[in-house]
Amino acid sequence: MSILFSNFHEAQRIGDGPALASCLAPVNSVSDPKRLWSFSQLSNYQTVEADIRYHVIQDRNAVKLPKQEANQWVQIFVCLWKCIKELASIESGRGGDWNTAYKVYKDLCNNLIRGYQSFNFPAWSVPCMYTAGKYLRILAIKADAEAAHAASNGNGFAAGMTDDIADTSEKNEKLQDAARTLQLMVAACRTDDSDLSESRKWGVISVANLLFKTYFKINNLALTKHVIAMLESPGTNLPPLEAFPKAQRCTYSYYRGVLEFLKENYAAAEGHLSDALSICHQNATRNREQILTYLIPAHMLTSQQLPNRALLSQLPALERLFLPLCTAIKSGELSAFDKALSDAEVELVNRRIYLTLERSRDLCMRNLFRKVFLNAWDETKDPATGEVIGKSRRTRIRVSEFEYGIRAAYKDAAEPIVVDRDEVECFVANMIYKGYMRGYISREHAICVLSKKNDAFPGTGT
Amino acid sequence: MYSVSGAAPWQSNGGYGQPNGHPAYIPVPTRNPYASSLPPPPTYVPQPLNHSSPAPPTPMTVASPAPSNESKKKTEWSPAVRAYVNRCFAAEHQIPGIERSEMEMKLREVITNAAQSNMLNSYNWANMPLPQQMIAEDRKRATLGLQSVPPNFVPPPPPLVPLSFIPGSTAPHSASSGSAVLRKRKSSEMSAESDNIHPPWRSKKGGSLEDRMSAPDKRPRFDAVPMSSKSNISLEQRKRRFDNGGSGSSSPRKNGPSPPPAESLGPVVGRSEKLEKNYFRLTSAPNPDDVRPLPVLRQTLELLKQKWRKDNNYGYICDQFKSLRQDLTVQHIKNSFTTDVYEIHARIALEKGDLGEYNQCQSQLRALYKQNLGGHPHEFKAYRILYYIYTCNRTDMNDMLSELTPADKQSEEVKHALAVRSALALGNYHQFFKLYNDPPKMGAYLMDMFIERERLAALAAISKSYKPAVRLRFITEELTFESEAEAAQFILDHEGKELLEEKDDYVQMKTNNRLWEEAKMAAFKFVDIKGQI
Repeated sequence: MSILFSNFHEAQRIGDGPALASCLAPVNSVSDPKRLWSFSQLSNYQTVEADIRYHVIQDRNAVKLPKQEANQWVQIFVCLWKCIKELASIESGRGGDWNTAYKVYKDLCNNLIRGYQSFNFPAWSVPCMYTAGKYLRILAIKADAEAAHAASNGNGFAAGMTDDIADTSEKNEKLQDAARTLQLMVAACRTDDSDLSESRKWGVISVANLLFKTYFKINNLALTKHVIAMLESPGTNLPPLEAFPKAQRCTYSYYRGVLEFLKENYAAAEGHLSDALSICHQNATRNREQILTYLIPAHMLTSQQLPNRALLSQLPALERLFLPLCTAIKSGELSAFDKALSDAEVELVNRRIYLTLERSRDLCMRNLFRKVFLNAWDETKDPATGEVIGKSRRTRIRVSEFEYGIRAAYKDAAEPIVVDRDEVECFVANMIYKGYMRGYISREHAICVLSKKNDAFPGTGT
Repeated sequence: MYSVSGAAPWQSNGGYGQPNGHPAYIPVPTRNPYASSLPPPPTYVPQPLNHSSPAPPTPMTVASPAPSNESKKKTEWSPAVRAYVNRCFAAEHQIPGIERSEMEMKLREVITNAAQSNMLNSYNWANMPLPQQMIAEDRKRATLGLQSVPPNFVPPPPPLVPLSFIPGSTAPHSASSGSAVLRKRKSSEMSAESDNIHPPWRSKKGGSLEDRMSAPDKRPRFDAVPMSSKSNISLEQRKRRFDNGGSGSSSPRKNGPSPPPAESLGPVVGRSEKLEKNYFRLTSAPNPDDVRPLPVLRQTLELLKQKWRKDNNYGYICDQFKSLRQDLTVQHIKNSFTTDVYEIHARIALEKGDLGEYNQCQSQLRALYKQNLGGHPHEFKAYRILYYIYTCNRTDMNDMLSELTPADKQSEEVKHALAVRSALALGNYHQFFKLYNDPPKMGAYLMDMFIERERLAALAAISKSYKPAVRLRFITEELTFESEAEAAQFILDHEGKELLEEKDDYVQMKTNNRLWEEAKMAAFKFVDIKGQI
């Protein structure tokens, strides 16, 4: 157990942030699989403070820290010890619960934050915030799971004096609590006015990433606005994003991109996600997959381009999801599209991209109409002989032709689709409205007049 | 300052203070801090020399005289007191579960208190509750977790006390002792170690139980937070009880205005038979007399249904339903009847466009459906989908889609709602308006909420893609207006006057105009979620 403290002192001596941070991690490490147990054997509830004080301050090998800082570290380690004791009991199966472990670890985090705010913890130690935040989050998730397990499956009644019978309070209590602590951490990191080379601001992105993760988990995305405002508003004087380590940048851009995606700002989403993709390490398959999951639909909608097979083949999971859809879209087969979409529905909904991909049906339909258009020839006949001497594209397409096209697209479908003339007009009107086609409908003549200038279907070359 | 006779000053009726008759202290009329909230105590004329028993600042003298006091006083007990004592011991007044020894102890306390404050003659012994009753009440209150609340009026300073200025060397002593007792007085409001000293004006009606209870009553009184309202309420009720009690001895504890059971005890069992009840927000534990039990609530529901059909008075109905829901909640009734109530209320709220109330019911219904208590989960799921469409809530819609089971998707209402959703997602206004024509159950009310903005969207699309104009007939049919006149009215409402042109036998609307696009953008910008969870 004193290994921990010697690590601590060593880290303090040389100013190694990550090493210091690893002291705060309440887990067994590879090199020391019994770390938790041995640390918990160090002391007992009565004497823990005194013992830790000895190890931190009075030990012969101890690094001399300023008094207040040292005291704060003592507090932090006391909390750590309590938490580890709890975890060790859970590990050995002898009682102990995540709830207590979470609470104690939260105290640790609060002490840490206070250390930075009031007791001048040095800035190089800022990785501690990230580590503490990370484990706080994990403990919170475990505590919530424990609570949910213990709760009586929704049979509880609303507590206190309410008018309504069911308890609609949250089931992510601890995690929300953790989110608040993380927010404090971000604030603590951000509000450091010392010189940039000595500032806590360098820790801000990593903790912000944790906060994003947490908000996604509790499904409260509205709160992310505040984080983003905190980090990106003009007055904050943070170092530019590019200066932060790649890993943090990549994660941050990813989350920003996803948030924009969910707000339907596909252009902005595409920007962030491409950034993330470019920084992302080649071998980090899972990460790339995640980024692409959102990037592909966003790109499809902004630029009407489909992902090519080469890209998809690298990532089998995505290939499975997107390939049938893309094939159907290319060929304009509405029925195949519908089928592919409904097959993949569950997965797509889980990844929150279903609603976006639905919109790509427009692309499919556009391709279908384009086919109709491409096959609509005007034959120019030689006035004298009646022979067909040339063909030119018609730009006036009857609505009925579109209707036949749609029927044809559905001819392989299980159930025949009935579309009436008005509905087809509606489809065409939508195409024009959204810019997939250029022209107009004349209701009197029941025809659609398309642009002659070779951009009846903008973006496709005809 | 004390009489040199060796007996404590209060043991002799006269001659307090110096043997020469000079009082050793100057009695000061004690405070009456609660004068406003309670009826004025029966008048007490301070008889400075005779009856006020000074407590010497030294505590030790307090305890010792008590027994001797009692014994001394034995001979002076009034017949009323004796009658009281007899009642206590009478067989018919025994309360099971209370030991005779306990009862005796309590009795002794009561008498001692009375004697020490020399109230033996002033208490209304006929109305005084018996010690067993006091014990029973204390126990009940203990199990109910209520603090034994000292009424929030300060048990006023014992009359014996010293704001007295004892001349000479004793002055500082008594002054400090005075302040000590003053300080003590303050804490004695809250703590249980107030001595058995009672203000002279403690009402004849026995006052409250608190002052008759003393140290042995170790109810936790650490709650220093003002319990004013609660204590007031319980005080009032207690007073009422004694008022109503009449011969409080003969009737066993009345259940009348009994202290309400604490929330923590569990469900209330209602007793009211009244079918109708106005809604009041709960501020304390509910009174069982006002809460209707389940059979009564069923009748209430039938009555409300009839009234709604007949009168259609939403304000009244909403009020009644809220109180219905409240009664169900406090009695912890969670079954299919509960689901029924919430469903009916939700439907009525929808009909009247009360989205706030509808949302409340909807969130409750979600929790109820999870427990399979019957009702119409499909119908309300469909309403949820429509509501998410209205609020443009993509995230929740996404979550909703992930929750839907195949069984849900088979049900007509959900199918309809999902069709609406996908039609709108693709901009297929044609399909959308066809669906609007024939929604199941009460979906129409929900769709009404966003029909206008969807009409604007459709007009924007039509306006961009049709040239040069479209007939009003077309618009009426596509956008399912009731009539051409209504369609025209809609256009006019949105500043579309210039777009309408009259031809020979029809009216047409010019297209290719930015008007509708802008109107649509404005309509989609702001959505109010009205209390949705």
